[in-house]
Amino acid sequence: MRLKTLSAGAIVVLIALGYTIVTYGQQNSSPSVYNPYPPGILPPNLNSEIHRVLAEIDFIEARALERWHKMKPPILTGQPPTLQNTGTEAVETLGELLNFDKQMSPKRNEACASCHMPYAAFSGPIPSVNLTMIAYPGTEHFRAGKRTAQRYTYAPFFPVLQYNQEQALFYGGNFWDSRATGYQLRNPDAEQAQHPPVDTQEMGFPDTACIAFRLQHSPYRRLFEEVWGKGSLDIDFPPETEEICRTPGGAAIFGTNATPIPLSPADRTHANTVYDHWGQSLDAYEQSVQVSAFSSKFDAFLKGNYTMTADEMAGYKLFNGKGNCNSCHVDGLGTTLKPGQVDTSTPATVNPVFSCFGSANEGLPLNPRDAFYYQTKPDPYGFTANPYGFGYRDLGLGTFLRSGFGSAPNPNASWRKLAPSVDGQMQVSSARNVAMTPQQCSTTEAPGPYFQKEFFHNGYIKSLKQLVHFYNTRDTAFAYPVTSGHCPQGTVERVNCWPMPEVKNNLDMTTGDLGLTDKEEDQIVAFLQTLTDGFTRPYPNRDTYTGACMHGGSSKTQGNEFLIPTPELPPCADAVCGVSPVPSPPIP
Amino acid sequence: MIRSFLKTGMTVAILVTSLLAVAQVSPTTKKAAHVRITEGPELERNDAYLVIVRWTSNNPGGTPEHYGVVHYGTNPTELDQSAKSPIRLNPGHDYTVFRVRMDSLKRRTTYYYKVDSMGDNGDPDGVRSPVRRFTTQ
Repeated sequence: MRLKTLSAGAIVVLIALGYTIVTYGQQNSSPSVYNPYPPGILPPNLNSEIHRVLAEIDFIEARALERWHKMKPPILTGQPPTLQNTGTEAVETLGELLNFDKQMSPKRNEACASCHMPYAAFSGPIPSVNLTMIAYPGTEHFRAGKRTAQRYTYAPFFPVLQYNQEQALFYGGNFWDSRATGYQLRNPDAEQAQHPPVDTQEMGFPDTACIAFRLQHSPYRRLFEEVWGKGSLDIDFPPETEEICRTPGGAAIFGTNATPIPLSPADRTHANTVYDHWGQSLDAYEQSVQVSAFSSKFDAFLKGNYTMTADEMAGYKLFNGKGNCNSCHVDGLGTTLKPGQVDTSTPATVNPVFSCFGSANEGLPLNPRDAFYYQTKPDPYGFTANPYGFGYRDLGLGTFLRSGFGSAPNPNASWRKLAPSVDGQMQVSSARNVAMTPQQCSTTEAPGPYFQKEFFHNGYIKSLKQLVHFYNTRDTAFAYPVTSGHCPQGTVERVNCWPMPEVKNNLDMTTGDLGLTDKEEDQIVAFLQTLTDGFTRPYPNRDTYTGACMHGGSSKTQGNEFLIPTPELPPCADAVCGVSPVPSPPIP
Repeated sequence: MIRSFLKTGMTVAILVTSLLAVAQVSPTTKKAAHVRITEGPELERNDAYLVIVRWTSNNPGGTPEHYGVVHYGTNPTELDQSAKSPIRLNPGHDYTVFRVRMDSLKRRTTYYYKVDSMGDNGDPDGVRSPVRRFTTQ
């Protein structure tokens, strides 16, 4: 075992070294890097960290290829035809291979996993990015998105986005703004996987057919065809396809054309089917126990195989009681309590995912470090991610319902009128794995050794202690009418000063003044840490982090040395706040 | 070791995915016959920045998302303005704390108010609230 661990480590180091040598020249010979950022926004180690993650990605891809090569091929049989025996393993392995394939980007330098690595529960893998720019750079360096990378874990359990008329609530979807509705594949997670490959600031292909094109040349083409049918990748691509696919989406040369590869109608339909299968394969991987494992201390506790520590149990009771966390992060318990009573009932389900699948505006302050605010100038391809700069406001679900700037087309016109009632709302993520870290960095919390994560949609919060403290004290005397970076003298931001919410509309008031003590906050953190998979059995690929852990400081002030003053905010841009039906009350 | 672990993992994957129950959502609880205030309403906060009105009632039940509503005005017999804030009902609690933010009040003005709550579908809970007053800073 020791030898194998050593050899695995050696392979990672060798791949990293090789990659660094190969790409060093490329990077230096790059004609221009898009850098509209003022000094200090991009972390100084960004290049080396991107290379580190790519080496880890290659290592995991190699692991998956090896496993596929040893897998017995499934047998297509029965009516309806089914891939008997290893069909499940085949589609899940295919999804894994797709997830860790950096060829699936114009510059062959970004995989889905670039923003979603296993050791971070498939969220952002670069501590310095999590501390600073919060959104991850895309294939075109250094375009970047606008929000934090959401965890894959348990995302497949979210239902198709639906507006429940009786309850007057939206349920389901994927993404912070629920824009992957599942309207067509009836699977929001599969549709989520279809966005980043053509997101201009992520993997950034200019045409969804580029996925089929690159798959034609992939080393696991045979597996794709085994799962989805012989000939499924037989598409007649014109000679200019490579040139088109290595040009990032959004380039001025494409205008508004979303299908620049000239394909026959039959081949276009064929390529669309491949793109659906891309999404479905990735969903299969994300739903598998390699990703959504149900292997936490809490799962062992439900089975009676783990006794929580005193602090974990106290945190669990607070989570369901005074903290009121389970009003949205549903844990499956269901007793109506009398004052002072404690819920000791058996969970209604054996696999609660700790989300109500709804959305809420928790009143996060605007985070001026978000890379999106600075991408106001055209890059070398003539693309400008955010012409509105700090005039952008993140209205989440509301902007999606309006088919608004920075979101995606809303496929259900009847929802649009509801936008003002959900402005500012973001998806209630599963609380599972919020605390997952690489195995050598035991926690998300300073003084560590810790792995720096980022929390909520804009990464304003840097530790779980801060997260619970925010819910606990957002509206107390710690709330000030200032923006981030401008807390009054004598106060400490994120400790006893909370800047005002970016969006006040529809602000959820379930929390904000919970009356928890400092110790009770810590106990809730201890409970959240029981939701990390990998306790009952190892979590796959959690051992692949080759970066460093961080040390020192306090979880209360974690990341505070990176706070910067928010500039004076211009009014919300018309492209965001002036789109009908406009927010009510108006957003300044 | 890694290979055998992954192999075991895949086997477990197949078993677990076949056993997955339907995902849960916030349950709708039975609507209470009467919703009574047990604490408040009172001002949780009243300063130049923010006014928050807070009260506790029995759990009204009904839709998981509820709104606390404050009807207010400068004339006690004419509470012609309102503010509302959403909260999530906790089906495991027999009480509910409502908190309503009032962001755009005039400074140094006396307001009268009473409170109610309603489901996300607009159905009021019919709370009987006293009319109270406060003066902004």
